[in-house]
Amino acid sequence: MEPELAVALPAAGAACATALRPRPRLALGLGALLGAGGLAAVVLSSPGAASDLLGITLSLSAPARSMLIVAALALAFVVVLAPQNAARSSLLRWGLAGLAGMAAIAVAPTLDVSVMVLLALVVLQAAGPGRRPYARRVRAPALAVVLLGLGLLFARMPGPPALERLGAVGLVAGLVAALGALPYMHEFDPEELTATSPIPWIAFVGPVVAVVVLTRARDLLPAAIGAMGAMLIGLGLLNIVWGCVASWRTELGAAAWRYSFISDWGLALCGFGLGLTEGWAGALLILFSILIGRLPLYLWSRQPLRDKIQTDRPINLVVAAALAGSAPFAGFTARILLLRGATALYWPLALVLAATLLLWVPSSLRLGRSLGMPKGRQLAGIMVTLALNVALGLYPQPLLSLAGL
Amino acid sequence: MSEAAAFAAWLGGAILVLADGRRGLAVGLALMAAGLGGVAYAAGEQLTGAALLAGGVVAAALRWRSGPEGWGLMQPGSTPRIVLTVVIGLVALYFAASLASGDGAAVRFAPMACIALAGARLLQGAERGAALTAASGLVLALGAGSVLGSSGSLPAAVVAAVIATGTSALPAAEPHGA
Repeated sequence: MEPELAVALPAAGAACATALRPRPRLALGLGALLGAGGLAAVVLSSPGAASDLLGITLSLSAPARSMLIVAALALAFVVVLAPQNAARSSLLRWGLAGLAGMAAIAVAPTLDVSVMVLLALVVLQAAGPGRRPYARRVRAPALAVVLLGLGLLFARMPGPPALERLGAVGLVAGLVAALGALPYMHEFDPEELTATSPIPWIAFVGPVVAVVVLTRARDLLPAAIGAMGAMLIGLGLLNIVWGCVASWRTELGAAAWRYSFISDWGLALCGFGLGLTEGWAGALLILFSILIGRLPLYLWSRQPLRDKIQTDRPINLVVAAALAGSAPFAGFTARILLLRGATALYWPLALVLAATLLLWVPSSLRLGRSLGMPKGRQLAGIMVTLALNVALGLYPQPLLSLAGL
Repeated sequence: MSEAAAFAAWLGGAILVLADGRRGLAVGLALMAAGLGGVAYAAGEQLTGAALLAGGVVAAALRWRSGPEGWGLMQPGSTPRIVLTVVIGLVALYFAASLASGDGAAVRFAPMACIALAGARLLQGAERGAALTAASGLVLALGAGSVLGSSGSLPAAVVAAVIATGTSALPAAEPHGA
């Protein structure tokens, strides 16, 4: 199936859900139907095969395709088992718009076009109703676009090797700014709607952006790929330490969840920086676990956080174990792969990584407690999340094969 | 011609940084688009240049119709912004003409200066209309930057023109609840 449909169908779904806002059930039904069509288009597309229907050559790489499939499944999962106070049609509308943008970023013929689509997403997300003024919401993600744009220019300029290395700096800095990780953390208001907050950048759109930028950068900057890997590992370690400690020590529960996303991204950046198959496999597993684990858990924690309910029941401890990356959850397999890759590349790095892994324990216990006493739809959602996490931890190969690894 | 177009692109970007009213923003965006289009045209990418120009002119026309009243050019306290536009121009010139080698310094200078100027405008935390205009300018500069790439730049320019127009078409007033 043509990749154009992977963009057009979710976009049409988001448009329908927006137009039918006064009739939420119809909006939900039509949006879900078109979103399912978009997912089918991604699943049925062949990775790497080019399509030229619109006069622009579009194709979908295997890692980006796998990330889109998991993101679409995560959206479906979140909409079906939505938190009790969340409007499903609103979640679906924002999710489908994001999914259409992510598909466009993934199928774009060049990185320039991907960055332009990213800017369009930035502008549209900030244009929604929110507590902060437009200019403050658009600032941080727009900086990402500026840095990526400058990185692309430097990468293409003929001249000394320093220019190519400047290109690598621009792309890495732009990627980290797009995610909202250190040192470019987005402004966060815990009371803001999730869809218009920085969370979608770090937990929903970010994985596809990272895969597309890093895949294309390998072709764009062949001589600076080592420098790029070193920067990714350095920023990854910084984000692991800062994210874990801040998630443990910060006062606000929502901010603790936000920092936990940053610490997971630190691991993923380290994996991408290793440049080996094990590193990429570990990084992709971390990103899959963010999409189908940490993001839904964050959404279900919003109400207990507002009600200030914290409990230490067995379910909270199991969730804490999953978030900390203990066996048999997906985080454990990802960490094993990362340690194996780091050992193969430079064993002291594996030692540092292994030491930082302990930092996840206190923050994960805190986050597990913040889910309160789950019941009804929330409990069902948490059980499914844990089951998916175990399945991904025990049998990661099907998804990794989907990503071409 | 390419040097004149590159200068026009920088001047348009500088006006974008210095203007607070809709007319000033629209003129800045139109001049930037004309400069970027001219640079692409001079580099032999005529259709790319036309697409950038068309996108920029339509986006500027939309801005002319909505946003803060008047020109708002160089209002009191804008000295740091004037200095910023000059510094960005000089740094971009150094990278494009001195550090990089080969012909086509104008093709390197114009997108770099415009990305930096539009980005600076966005980072200033400006009013919504100015931020949307800066976003339109930023996407056009990204489209012009694709001329440096090895693959065709026309698709990127068309996408840039569409996004620039769409961005300028968004309401310039903050929605209720912001």
